[in-house]
Amino acid sequence: MVRLLTHNMLQCHVRDCTNGFPLRFQNAEVEHAEQEMNTEFLVNMLPRIDWAALRATAHELGIAQLPETMPEDAAESTELLQVLHRVLMETSVKAGEMVCPSCEHVYPIRNGIPNMLLNEDEV
Amino acid sequence: MPPYLLHFAQAHEDFRRPEIDALAALEGVALTWVDYDPACPFATVDLASDAAAAALVRRSILVKHAYALWDAADDYDALHAAVRANPGNRNAPFMDASFKFVVETFNTTKSMPEKVAIINSFAYMAFRGVIDLKTPDATLGVLEAWTPPHDPDHRMTRVYFGLLVATGDRRAIDRYNLKRRAYLGTTSMDPELSLIMANMAHVKPGALVYDPFVGTGSFLVTAAHFGGVTVGSDIDGRQIRGTGKGSARSTDAPGSVSVHSNIAQYGCADRVLDCLVFDLAHHPWRNARPFLDAIVTDPPYGVRAGAKKIGGEKWRPAGVSPDASRKHAPSHGQGRFPATVPYDLDAVMADLTDFAARSLVVGGRLSYWLPTVKAEYAPEDVPLHPALRLVANSEQPFGQWSRRLITIEKVRDWEPGMHVSGSGLLGAKLESMGSAALDAFSSANSSDPATTVASTKKPGHKGFRESYFNFGADNNRRDP
Repeated sequence: MVRLLTHNMLQCHVRDCTNGFPLRFQNAEVEHAEQEMNTEFLVNMLPRIDWAALRATAHELGIAQLPETMPEDAAESTELLQVLHRVLMETSVKAGEMVCPSCEHVYPIRNGIPNMLLNEDEV
Repeated sequence: MPPYLLHFAQAHEDFRRPEIDALAALEGVALTWVDYDPACPFATVDLASDAAAAALVRRSILVKHAYALWDAADDYDALHAAVRANPGNRNAPFMDASFKFVVETFNTTKSMPEKVAIINSFAYMAFRGVIDLKTPDATLGVLEAWTPPHDPDHRMTRVYFGLLVATGDRRAIDRYNLKRRAYLGTTSMDPELSLIMANMAHVKPGALVYDPFVGTGSFLVTAAHFGGVTVGSDIDGRQIRGTGKGSARSTDAPGSVSVHSNIAQYGCADRVLDCLVFDLAHHPWRNARPFLDAIVTDPPYGVRAGAKKIGGEKWRPAGVSPDASRKHAPSHGQGRFPATVPYDLDAVMADLTDFAARSLVVGGRLSYWLPTVKAEYAPEDVPLHPALRLVANSEQPFGQWSRRLITIEKVRDWEPGMHVSGSGLLGAKLESMGSAALDAFSSANSSDPATTVASTKKPGHKGFRESYFNFGADNNRRDP
């Protein structure tokens, strides 16, 4: 699927590449799939999300406008959680590429599965 | 705390107490073991209440039922004396309830007339309610433990009497039965053990659960059963897509079934985030902070060594392009393939342990299988780490060798300078087994260890290495 939640946890891991996060989507085929909200899970994930990266990605894909920083009361805000549910869980990139903003390495996505294997000279 | 009787399945004996201890910790249930014998399915524990008993066993895969233990004795005369002597307030709530009796025996069988006679011997209890065999309000259990059938002194040693208060989740095993699984590989994990692992790893609603050797996705669906949200990765994208050679059913056309089919079959699409293709030793997870609640996995044994230690039996994979410089597995171009299972087992297990120490949140758990040789196993063979505490180590024996379910909990933050420790001898010890035992080892890694004696299925481990081998070629074309 490459949900945006997963994307928020991935970075470029080519040897010696620093600042390879977040990966930039390119030629992205974006899919929306409605599903039941899992509030407990979203609240659990809040401290683990990189908010700035999520905000930038959601903006680049034209999905949502998130506030500049995660609100203090995010866990209690149903409205915000609903937006996060849509962004993190219901939005996914089915095909395209994820490109490192630092070393430009390309990770292809095909049928919702990203290939993040590296060649021996890259590890 | 009052006593309760746990009626266990008489299977996977070494896993029974650890599973209950894990569930007690998960559910916050105070528990004292009073009487437990691995050779017997009836165990006595002290618990705070019926509600505590229900909370304890509702997810259990190895407990059939829990009873409030009213009386126990070595024979029926003593039992009836104890029951008669009991003050009536214990029975009072059930005097007018619909009820039934069940008679369960271990190491012996009783005919229906024999069971009826036993039930009738309790007639003095004078319950006034109707007998309801289908949905009674109260079920009274009479449980007999006998010496083994072959014992010359074959007799009953203990009889327990109590009120049924809770039932475990053994019916989940059949729900995930591999025979009816949409996408099956030779390495698909037995559902009973897979569900037990999810309990050992404290998978629960809201948890993020990872399988770094996801294969055909067995752990994704069983973790989802307990409400976890899962993510999986594998070095071999063909296992995930269903286009590899590992499929157990020859009737499945490549690509027609995949991990996605299993997700659809069990309706857990909302609880499976993603499957990704990468090598755990070179993973792309962002290192900024720990992010996983649980890791549940069955690592392949020595796959990366398969790429390094080539030599021996000749083998040429289909579809290898002759000019490919196989960067992940440079020796593959010679078309050689090892005759025996190569071992970089220690590196795989150390990587997994180190990864868990860094990526689990404090309180998170790792649950995985470790293959060991019975005669040579030592506790130091289990990799450990300063940030991690060994919680359980349960053995599933296969004759000369075993696999051990290792459960580890992260107890403190990871810090630079922390390293995995262990004997580093897992691979060497496995190699010391004869080749017949190694063959049994390989095929027992497949989906149904109990029936691999006359199996015509490709041994799971070899199948995995074959797909890995092909993966090496595909990766060069950047198209796994």
